[in-house]
Amino acid sequence: MNIDFQNKFEKNLIHLALKFQKLLIYRIIQKTLLLVFPFALFGSFIRIIQTVVIGKEGFLTDVFPTINNDFLNRQIENICAGLYNLSLGFISVMAIFGAAKYTAKHFKRDDQLAGVTGISFYLIVDYSYSKLQPFSFHPQILGLRGLLFAMISGIFIGWIFKKASRPIPISESEQNIWQRSFISVRPIVISLLVAIVLSTLINITYYAEAPGNFINAVASEYSSKSNLGQISKTLIFSVYTLVMSFLGWSGTYSSLGVEKMDKLSTINLNYALDHHTAWNAPNPFTSSSLYHAFATFGGTGAVLGLIIAILIISQDKDYQTVARWSIIPSLFNISSGLMTGIPILFNVIFLIPFILAPLANMLMAALAIQLHLMPPSVYPVPVGTPGPLTAFVGTNGSWQALGFSILAIVISTLIYIPFVKMAIKVKQLDDLTSEEGEH
Amino acid sequence: MRSRTLRKNKNFKYLVAMALFFILLGIPSYIWTKKNVTTLAGRYNSPMTPIIMIPGSSASANRFDNLVKTINSKYGEHHSLLKMTVHLDDSISYTGKIRANDTQPFIVVGFDNNKDGYSNIQKQVQWFNIAFNAIKKRYRFNTFNAFGHSNGGLIWTIFLEKYFDDSTMTLNQLLTVGTPYNFEEKNSSNRTQMLNDLIKARDKIPKNLTYYSIAGTQLYTDDGIVPLGSVDAGKYIYEGQIKHYTLVTLTGSKAQHSDMIASNQFINIFHQYIIGNGVTNPDSPDSKQSAIANN
Repeated sequence: MNIDFQNKFEKNLIHLALKFQKLLIYRIIQKTLLLVFPFALFGSFIRIIQTVVIGKEGFLTDVFPTINNDFLNRQIENICAGLYNLSLGFISVMAIFGAAKYTAKHFKRDDQLAGVTGISFYLIVDYSYSKLQPFSFHPQILGLRGLLFAMISGIFIGWIFKKASRPIPISESEQNIWQRSFISVRPIVISLLVAIVLSTLINITYYAEAPGNFINAVASEYSSKSNLGQISKTLIFSVYTLVMSFLGWSGTYSSLGVEKMDKLSTINLNYALDHHTAWNAPNPFTSSSLYHAFATFGGTGAVLGLIIAILIISQDKDYQTVARWSIIPSLFNISSGLMTGIPILFNVIFLIPFILAPLANMLMAALAIQLHLMPPSVYPVPVGTPGPLTAFVGTNGSWQALGFSILAIVISTLIYIPFVKMAIKVKQLDDLTSEEGEH
Repeated sequence: MRSRTLRKNKNFKYLVAMALFFILLGIPSYIWTKKNVTTLAGRYNSPMTPIIMIPGSSASANRFDNLVKTINSKYGEHHSLLKMTVHLDDSISYTGKIRANDTQPFIVVGFDNNKDGYSNIQKQVQWFNIAFNAIKKRYRFNTFNAFGHSNGGLIWTIFLEKYFDDSTMTLNQLLTVGTPYNFEEKNSSNRTQMLNDLIKARDKIPKNLTYYSIAGTQLYTDDGIVPLGSVDAGKYIYEGQIKHYTLVTLTGSKAQHSDMIASNQFINIFHQYIIGNGVTNPDSPDSKQSAIANN
């Protein structure tokens, strides 16, 4: 297929992406992400109900008065918790199944057994040694946070299958299912033993202070007096958050904006209430005035711009389907569907706009605040407020802020457009989604 | 080219739906945030009505420890006590703290330089203003009651005339004990410089204030230190300017200038007018509620 490149950068990036796609690990990760996409999408819809519709400080609960029926609310809450915890909240378990299965299949080992071993492996690693609850797991690692770890473990298990067992004879049929199982006994036992070791280590270190705690503490406690210090702090933690999200972890700032308000934002709020205006608030460049108000449209990475870009220019059916399905969760800043469906996670091409678009929006907002074109967002914003309305709500309905929010959508869309084109070209050259003829 | 094809783009309807969605949610969001900010500003009218107390000359911020203890045990209430000392360099040190949800905490403001004399008192007023602004910012209340012992009452009066802004803050009740508006002068026709200054600036004092001034007497003329006439001279400042001005004369044991705040009569008056906000019955729903909340 002939593809013409618009410029050198595009050519280089596409070649880099193609090179990455040749890597077995990369292929397996991307395929695994597509495998878990339906669950991520389903979970993100449930998440809307959980946080935005019935959550305590959720957007719709706040903005629209709800049925104050406690019984009904609790039932909905319970059902949603169950559905969420075992879809998006369980996504790493599904991911390890996929990763182990694809790896084993690549090496012509028993892929079904490898996948099931993966699940068992992961649950053992995640098993919590608690006396209070006899059968429980550390929930954080089961969800999106554990995704990278799960996929790497899955590949590792597939590799154990390759090393410790011989290929499955293809021609033989079901009566040899016993034989198939016995071929795989060795790798299963090895995997589970490794799992036990890891599990012990995790349970020992689990309650120790993780580095993440440290960074969160710095983010909320450390405060700089100067505007320059403030803006650089906000930008640094934003980039950290974006990179972490790109790897499937969560960073300092949540896209739902539920982390504790830092000291500077509280000072801002007090100032604004004192002076009955958000203009000239003492700390104009906090995470709430820049990151939450302008960088999370559609979820972490300003992916609303990506959705719009796909809807406008992409002729690719798969992308369009994913984008359409992701519209509704993304309106409430929940992007897990899009992250796994495109996929954005670990995607070389989208790494750049995923960081660049939020940064551009934040710099635009900082400039506008600095030039007194709009007030900083200082007032409380409910959880899951649609991204483009965050600044509007956070400034107590400043029309300038709304205008800049619309500008931010345009900026992020424009930033995403060239990368969507590149991603489509890469897909045309080497489509990961089609089931390749096994080699 | 894009704009022309956009209309034909079958995704156009999704983009329109998105825009509609934002507009539709934007309107209630706008109403919500307006309302929310108003209630937040209303929360600034926090339920807290602190009782701010200023001790007299030569006394520190610890002057009222026993008074607070007595009030708490006698009425079964649990007011917390915050003590502030303003230093010579305008810095403030704090001891004690206000418990969350305490609607009527005591705040005592003392000074490093607590000497007598008009010029010292004027300095103390400036320091008090610093402390007042600090607690105003910190606790976000907008009504309070005030108590001043001896020269503390002078500090209150000068503060009300020079610094107090009654458009953002309401002083409900003021209570003073043995405040020498004319210093040691018995005869109110011999007006001191300070009394003249205070009378001149009296129209700055908030008009809706209720003020109880207590004078102690032993042998009809003074409380051992401050002459009755000096306390009584307060009427030239307050009478006709504020809503209510009441002068109470306290006699009997513990009517001496420094002892008065330990006297039962005084504590009853203090509780009735300052804590009970003028409500006579100590079992009023207000005080009961605070007692329950504090238990």
